[in-house]
Amino acid sequence: MASALHAERLRFVYGDRVAVDGVSFAIAPGEVLGLLGPNGAGKSTTIKLLIGLLRPQAGSIEILGMAMPQQRTAIQSRIGVVFEEKNLYPTLSGRENLAFFARLFGLHDVDLDHLLERVGLATRGRDRVSDYSKGMRQRLTVARALLNRPDVLFLDEPTDGLDPVSARSIRTLIREEADRGVAVLLTTHDMYEADELSDRVAFIDEGRILALEAPEQLKLRHGQRAIRVRYREDHEVKEATVPLDEAAGDQLQALLGREYLLTIHTEEATLEDVFVELAGRRLE
Amino acid sequence: MNLARSWSILRKDLRIGPRSPVVLWALIVPVVLTVLIRGVFGDLFADQPSLGIADEGSSTIVAAADHLDGVDVRVLPTAEDVEVEVADGRLDAGLVLPAGFDDAVRAGERPPLGLWLSGESLPVDRSVLTVAVLDLVRQVAGDEVRASVEIVEVGEAGLPIDLRLLPLLVLYAVAIPGGMVPASSLVEEKEHGTLQAVLTSPASVGDVLLAKGTFGVLLGMIAGLVTLTLNDAFGVAPLAVVLAVALGAVMMAELGLMLGAWSRDTNTLFAAWKAVGIVIFLPAVFFLWPDLPTWPAYLMPAYYFLQPAYAVGVEGAGLADVAVELAIGFGICLLLLPPVIAVGRWLQVRLAAGRLPAGEDAQPEPSTTTG
Repeated sequence: MASALHAERLRFVYGDRVAVDGVSFAIAPGEVLGLLGPNGAGKSTTIKLLIGLLRPQAGSIEILGMAMPQQRTAIQSRIGVVFEEKNLYPTLSGRENLAFFARLFGLHDVDLDHLLERVGLATRGRDRVSDYSKGMRQRLTVARALLNRPDVLFLDEPTDGLDPVSARSIRTLIREEADRGVAVLLTTHDMYEADELSDRVAFIDEGRILALEAPEQLKLRHGQRAIRVRYREDHEVKEATVPLDEAAGDQLQALLGREYLLTIHTEEATLEDVFVELAGRRLE
Repeated sequence: MNLARSWSILRKDLRIGPRSPVVLWALIVPVVLTVLIRGVFGDLFADQPSLGIADEGSSTIVAAADHLDGVDVRVLPTAEDVEVEVADGRLDAGLVLPAGFDDAVRAGERPPLGLWLSGESLPVDRSVLTVAVLDLVRQVAGDEVRASVEIVEVGEAGLPIDLRLLPLLVLYAVAIPGGMVPASSLVEEKEHGTLQAVLTSPASVGDVLLAKGTFGVLLGMIAGLVTLTLNDAFGVAPLAVVLAVALGAVMMAELGLMLGAWSRDTNTLFAAWKAVGIVIFLPAVFFLWPDLPTWPAYLMPAYYFLQPAYAVGVEGAGLADVAVELAIGFGICLLLLPPVIAVGRWLQVRLAAGRLPAGEDAQPEPSTTTG
């Protein structure tokens, strides 16, 4: 399948600090690619390069068959962006914010009520954004990104700092858009979110992509499966972890033979574990 | 550049404007200052020219003067009283009718008629009063004016302080809403990150600058014209005054756009505005103290809209009298356009290079080694 977005060897330097260094990836229509990395890893800069806010110093970008930044305006009319910061006009209502951006896109027949309903703001659309909670503002920025029914969505930390309910509703929307065929680039430092939403995950650190695969594949390839057993011995609760390798059978047999076995859990590698193994440090 | 998108941004700014403290401050302060200055120094509630008359005989002119429209007439007992009142600036003009004046006029003589003019009276008021007096004499004589009018200027020469402060007021009224408002609006968009959101839509930096500039021109014109209206300073050529204010608003908006595009944040903008403000406001000094040599004012762009507005609105000049200054002002507006476009391009380049980022998102990412 032809990719909706193709980035090739992107490079961007702030002063003498390399923010993005030879980043390459592609996203197919309907695919969610999670860009996972710690703060300052180059995630936001990569998004800014892709949406035309920054001009790459090297490399090429092709979105929906068009070159960025050469065909910036045409591309921007077909993409949606959710920024990490809640960059809305606080003295305008939620509805007025959406109406303004709809006009910038040259759209005059957008069903704003439906859009507000989709993000759970149907009853608050006429309230000023300054009266919105952080979660409501973030949901409004998602609604803004969906105004033009984009073919490619860029989401920069869309659930950062949100309450679980707001985060859940935004994840649901992202999934719905991907199911509609939208290519989604999602940056996050939340490994659970990346695991849940992403068809593929790219680990980025110090401006470089360390690995790019489906989450399951990454975990299988880089993680370690194990069984964790808790048992009582000499009036104390003890714990043992048995890696599921060739020698696991005997150790497990010995543990299961104990009289006071309390719990047995399988333990899979997490994306965090994979990142630690690849980057040598934790995500946060 | 796309006019429809600029119009959308302008509509948004117009909607936000009344809720913005900066806009309200910019529009209200000139009005408040006008009321204060005219209340303290001027004649806030007496905008008609005043004429004092001393009748040494029994002229019919006194009764006729009482019915004059647009002139505040006071009858005084003696010629000395008239002179004192005019010299002290309490009257714009004084007329002394000698005994037997009417008879002499009717007999075909040309009797002398003393018309005292206050040195502080407005030229436009002097014209009105001179014509009114001649008309009164004509009513006595028939068609031809049979009097030899001797005009004597008494009292301190020069305009009253409230009128000399008018250029400063007009300059403030045009410069702050016209220049400062678009500049701060642009900086605010950078600081709040909304500029990034706008530039991620099909809108360009050019669309944004056009909208902000138009916003500034509209506000500058409104504030400038309201200030002039409150000061009753449209003279005999209102079109010339409107033209001068429009040029001033364009000039200030261009300056505001350059400062706004260049400034990284509000603090930088205010520092820059203070520095540039000296050049902007300096011409007002030469109107406040007219004895100063005026040539330095010719070097200041603002002079070329302030002088025409003042000459027409206060000194009674016509459009032709200020055509040269207006033409130079227009030329300055044109000359400022390329720098505005250049600064717009510079802003685009800076944004694309991540050098002029806005808000938290704008900071270059932290060192990748610290996570």
